[in-house]
Parts: sequence; structure tokens; C-alpha cells
Amino acid sequence: MTRRRRLIACLALGFVGASTGVFAVPVNAQKTSQAKQIGGKFMCMCSCNQVLTQCNHVGCTTSTSMLKELDQGVAHGDSEDVITQAFVQEFGTKVYAEPPKSGLSLVAWSLPSVYLFVGTAIVIFVIFRWRARPAPQIAAAGVRSGISQDKLEQARQRVARETED
Amino acid sequence: MDVFGSFALLLAFVCAVYAFVGGIAAIRTRHPLLVKSARQAGLATCGLIFLATGSLVYLFFSDSYWVAYVVAHSNRDLSTFYKVAALWSGQEGSLLFWSFLLAIYVFSALFAYRNKNGELMPYVGVVLAGVQIFFLTLNNFVASPFKVLATPGANGALDIFTRADGSGLNPLLQYPEMVIHPPNLYSGYTGFTIPFAFALGALLARYPGEKWIHLTRKWTMIAWCFQTMGILLGAHWAYAVLGWGGYWGWDPVENASLLPWLTGTAFLHSVMMQEKRGMMKVWNVWLVFCTFMLCILGTLLTRSGVVSSVHAFAQSSIGDWFVGFLALVLVVCFTAYVKNRDYLKSENQLDSMVSRESSFLFNNLILLVSCIAVLSGTLFPVFSEWFSGSRISVGAPFFNKVNIPIGLLLLFLTGVGPLLAWRKTSTDSLKRNFGWPLVTALVLGVGAFAAGLREFYSLVCLSLCVFVTSTISMEFFRGAKVIRARSGASLVASAVDLTMRNTRRYGGYIVHMGMVLIFVGLAGAAFNRDTQKEMQLGSTLQIGRYNLLLQSFDSKPEKNYTSERMIVEVMREGKPLMMLYPERRFFQTNEQSGTMVAIYSTLRDDLYVVYAGQSPDNQLPVIHAYLNPLVKWIWLGGVIVVLGTIVTLLPNRRAVLAFSRAQEPAVARPLGQTLAPSATLREGHD
Repeated sequence: MTRRRRLIACLALGFVGASTGVFAVPVNAQKTSQAKQIGGKFMCMCSCNQVLTQCNHVGCTTSTSMLKELDQGVAHGDSEDVITQAFVQEFGTKVYAEPPKSGLSLVAWSLPSVYLFVGTAIVIFVIFRWRARPAPQIAAAGVRSGISQDKLEQARQRVARETED
Repeated sequence: MDVFGSFALLLAFVCAVYAFVGGIAAIRTRHPLLVKSARQAGLATCGLIFLATGSLVYLFFSDSYWVAYVVAHSNRDLSTFYKVAALWSGQEGSLLFWSFLLAIYVFSALFAYRNKNGELMPYVGVVLAGVQIFFLTLNNFVASPFKVLATPGANGALDIFTRADGSGLNPLLQYPEMVIHPPNLYSGYTGFTIPFAFALGALLARYPGEKWIHLTRKWTMIAWCFQTMGILLGAHWAYAVLGWGGYWGWDPVENASLLPWLTGTAFLHSVMMQEKRGMMKVWNVWLVFCTFMLCILGTLLTRSGVVSSVHAFAQSSIGDWFVGFLALVLVVCFTAYVKNRDYLKSENQLDSMVSRESSFLFNNLILLVSCIAVLSGTLFPVFSEWFSGSRISVGAPFFNKVNIPIGLLLLFLTGVGPLLAWRKTSTDSLKRNFGWPLVTALVLGVGAFAAGLREFYSLVCLSLCVFVTSTISMEFFRGAKVIRARSGASLVASAVDLTMRNTRRYGGYIVHMGMVLIFVGLAGAAFNRDTQKEMQLGSTLQIGRYNLLLQSFDSKPEKNYTSERMIVEVMREGKPLMMLYPERRFFQTNEQSGTMVAIYSTLRDDLYVVYAGQSPDNQLPVIHAYLNPLVKWIWLGGVIVVLGTIVTLLPNRRAVLAFSRAQEPAVARPLGQTLAPSATLREGHD
């Protein structure tokens, strides 16, 4: 192992050490209560557009009463489903912090994946198409597209004349 | 002064209309006088907007409480600092401020190119005037900031009356960052108008498409830089003011600022494909069009009340105007494209799947997917209401789940893309460039896992951060080593020299490094924790390695508000560390409250302390403490991104000296012996 490689290895190990130091705390050391976990799935209805457990507007009476209701449900031993249904009945579907994975909301969940897959397919298609394209075909592209190569070249020369950086 | 301001705005509108119509006539007739007069009208429009904006600022400073906008957003006790911010704190003023910033850009562009690009500039001028007409229409006829307070008098005429004092500025806006965050963000939004105008102008003028890219690169970089700063300053403002312990809540208005940033970033990357290989001309034109349209859409979302947001302006009918303008822009762009698309024909050819070109394609794909995912998530509540009659909220948990994997893919490409060669990357090159970075990243990942880190995304994110850092460091190291061998300078001086020789390439790396730091900070969010407690004097609260001791609790009147504050001593490992003063301010003029969070920030974590009011049961002060790891890295990353962007804007320093030294007999060596093949090839690349 050369001196440089040893140095890099030491640096890498040092970085690992430093990083693990940062994260040495057990991940679940501050495990939230059930109420906090369920509350993270609702929006505060004060129209602040924040998650219920994160709404910290001074004097926000809405989040206070919602959290109180949530705590009462948990203390009563209600399951998450029961609490959720109670909130939806009271505030409507807009109380969800994330759309439920059913019905119309499924569209919201599936769209990003659809974008990614369709986009990837298009990019791969484009790459293969461009790879298969021989140089003469590219040169002739201008002619096929309704504008002659001469005309395109003239336009390019015009631009070079007229524009300056 | 209100009459002066109104008149200046009206005259600006007339000049903008002349610049638009005169510009079209100039394009048709090619008469030099018409061309000149249209340009002068464009410059005059800007000058008049400057005067109108100056008038409104003067009205704020002179406490002119007969002007409705001044009454609604200022009061006598408001500090001078915030009277400036009051200019953009409401709908009318912020629209005038938008026109003002746009005018700075338009003036700069028209002035800078007054004797250049004679064929293109009339087209650009017409597009810019068109955009200005829209905003001046709003300023003059829809949301005038110069309306005065008036009541019907005895003779039926309106009598102007003056209020003794104003209602004051929204407390949430009385924070130093609100004085710099909106100007930065608006400068980003308005700045994208210049590349848009050049792109559309070039298309209308049937320019084949290479040149406008060169002309607008710096404008785009400046707009992007402002947008980045605006977003990060907004995040910092949310973090320090809203008091919920976070910096990004995926609020519709926050999302609106992110959308053009994503497409703008995609454009800044794909533009290299056009410059280097003459590829993706149509794509680039549409990316610029979309970026501009997303800026308008963002404004529409903020101002129309279509989506609910804590940041939004009051609900108004102004959204209809933006919808109309957006539709018009789309039609114009589409028509121009359909008519002149033949001039955008690209020489698209790829030699290999593993090449810089492919990486740019995937980079654009990821950025666009992220943009569309955020956009559809933001608008989903509206669509769900249309289709099902009930509004379904889409909050932060959804956006986090969707965007975290996308962001990680992007981070991976940040490391891979720049080190792939144009056309084709050989297997040897892949091994040379990615071998060590991959090993280092894997070692870190395994080490962190062994140490107990089980958060999957954070683990992957940190490993990728190490990977990208390694690739960038290797690039700097290799290049600097070559220069050091030639010049004898230190490695750091050689790295600086290297950067200055190709500012665009190495400035870009610095920007990437800044993004890595931001990702490190984001990875820390998985480990946030918080606790809340009613505190008696002398009682303590433990969070992480910190112990908070309530020393005192007081209430004191200030000039513009009354403050309730806790005096908290922070101790670490039993030793006093510092004092924190979380407070709550009550503003008498508008009867609103605001929090002032106290933050002790280190590279390891932020101790974030909020005074959450008094307990209704026993009137004891309630403290809400958060421990947020690595947040400081985000702000540091932002600074690095801005520095990197500034570097990319600097001109390249020619390598004349080094080469001349290399040719001297004493130090001269055959080039092949001194330059690594990769360095030789990459010299001059971006």
C-alpha cells in the first residue's frame, strides 16, 4: 500500500469514526408516544398546512383541541383506525397528512412512479435511437425536416455575424 | 407622492406598450429609428418603475397614513429596517416590487446589448415588454399600491382622510431574513424572464439555437443563484421564526419556489449538451419556457388562494389574471415552436450508454420527475376536490416519501455524471475514477451500520455524500497535482489555480460540494427529537446531551411589542454552556403574536428552544425543546453553493504562465510525462 493510499484509507476511517460519533445515539432513544405517531398522520386544520404534531403557532387553538382529542382517544385505548375514522368524520378527508392508499388517492401515490418509469423508458429509447443513428443520417436530418442544410448553414453564419457574447 | 407614484406607473405602462408595439413594427420594417425608439421606450419603462417604487418607499418612511397600503403594512413604531420589508409584505406592494426587480433585469439587458446583437435584440425587447405590460397592468388597474383612504364628503365628492397610525407589519415578517429572503426569491423568479426572452426571441428570429445559450448563460446562473439563496433563506426563516422545529414543510408556496429551481437546474445541465454536442436544442428551449411558466404558476399559487398556505397572500381574484397570462405565454411559445422548430434540429448522436451525454439525460429526467411529482402533489387537493367533491390533503409525509428516493438518485448522478467522458467512457476510466470513491462510500456505509445507524435513507444518503465528495476531491487533487508538478506551487494554490483556469467546470464542482453538504444536513432530519415541559423556576429539562435550567421568566414592553421571555441556562455534561432567550412577542397594533426561537447551533446538532406560551392549567411557562442533528450543514452548504456559482461566473484565467514556464529548458518536460491523460483531455471542458 502506497503512502497516498494509506493516507486516503486513514481519512476514510476518520470520516467513518466522526460520522458514527454523530449518530452514536440509539435511533429509537426518543421513541414517540402512540399519540405523537398517529398525530404525525394528520394535518392541523387551522389552514397552516402543517402536520398536526408540528403546528406550533402561538395561540393556535385548533391544534390544541385536536391534540387533546387525540390524546383522549389514545388514553381511551382506541386503535389507530378508530381514531383516524373519528378525525375524518369530524374534519373530512382533508385531515389526512398523506393521502390514504385507496380510491382516488391512489392516483397521487402512483403518479410519481409512473413519471419515473415512463421517463426512464423515454430516456432509454432516446439513447438507443441516438446510438443507432449514423452520422450521414444526422447530416441529412435538416433536409428531411423541410429546411435545407444550406439554409441552416446560412442562418448559422447570420447568427455568428450578428451576435456577440 | 402617491399621485407621483401612480402617474409614474401609468406612464411606465404607456412606455411598455410603445416598446411592445414599436418593437414589433421595428422587426417588420427594420427601420433603425424605430428599433432605437422601442429600446429607449423599454429603458424609460424601467426608469419610471424605479421612480414609482421609490415613491412607495418614501410613503412608508414618511408615515403617510392616507395611503391604504401603507396603513395596512406599517406603523409609526416600526423600525426603519422593516419599513423597507413592508414594501413587499402585501399583495400590491409585492407586485410592484416584482415589476421593480424585473425592470432592473430588463434595463441591464437592454443597456448591456444596446450596440450588440442588432437582429436579435428587437425580438428580445418585445418579449420583455410583453411581460412588463402584464405586470404593469396589475400594478395600475388591478392591485395598485397607491390607493388612498377616502370617505364620501358632504357634497358627494370623496374626501381623503389620514389615519393616526398604521396597522403594523405582520409579526412573522418582522425578522431580519424577511428583509433579504423575498428580494432574493423574487430576483430568482424575475431573473428567469431574461433567458425566456432570449429563447423565445431567438426562436421567433429563427436563430438556429446555439447562440442564445451563450448569451443567456450568465443571466440564467444569476437567476438560479438568487432562487437558491431565496429558497434557503426562506427555509432558514421558517426554521427560526415559525417555531415548529423544521425548515421545509412542503407547503404549496415553498413547493412553488422549488419548481422553477428544479427545471432551471435541469436547464443549466442540459445546456452543456447543446454547447458541446449540438444536442437537445428543442429540449433546452422548452426547459426555459417551462421554467418561466413555473415562475408565473408559483406566483399564481401564492396569490390566488387556489391552495391553502401559511405563506400565501390574501385570497383574491388576481389569480384569474395569472391564469390568463399563463395560457397566453403557453400559446405564444407553442406557436413559435411549431412555426420555427426546423431551426432547432439537433445533431443528436450517442456513442455509448456510459457517457456524459447519457448522464445528463438521466439528470434531466430525475429533476423533471421530481418537479412533476411536486407539482402534481401540490395540485392534487384541488384536483381531488374537482373529481370527488372532497379535498384530500397532501402534506409533508407524502412529499418526503416521494422525493427522498428521487433526491438520492440525483445525488448519485452528481457523483457519477461529471467524471464520465463525453461520447464514451472506457472501463479503465470507470475503474480509475470510481474505484476509490465507491470503496470509501461502502466502508462508511458498513461502518455506520455497524455503529447502529439503521435509518435506511440516512445511511444511503451519507454513503452517497462520501462517494460524491471523494469523486470531486479526486478531480481537484489530480488537476492540482499536475499544476503543482509544473509550477512548484503548493497543492492548495495549485487547486485555486486549477479552479481559476476553468471556472465553469470547477465552480460547478464547488456547487456540487455545497449540495453534498445540504444533503448531509437533510440526512440528519431522521434523528430529530423533541420534548415539551411546563417549567418552574429552577426546574430542568433534559434533551440529548443538553440540560436546560429555567433561571427566570419575565415580561417587558418594547417599542413595537411586548415580550414574554424565558431565560434558560444551557448546560452540557454538568457545565454551564450558554444562555438562551426564547420569547413570544405580542404586537399591540395588529394584536398578533410571534415567536422568537432561541437556537444554539453546532455542526453536530442544533438545540432549538421555543417558548410555547403559558400552561392554561397553572400559568407555568411551557418550554418546547428540539434537538435537530446536522442542520447547520444545510446553511453551510447554501453558502458553498453561492460561492461556487460566483466562481462559475468568473472569466477563465488563461494558463499562459504555466505553459510558458513549462516550455523553459530548466523545467521543460515532454507534455506526456507531466500531464495525466485524463487531465490533458479535460483541460477546457466544463
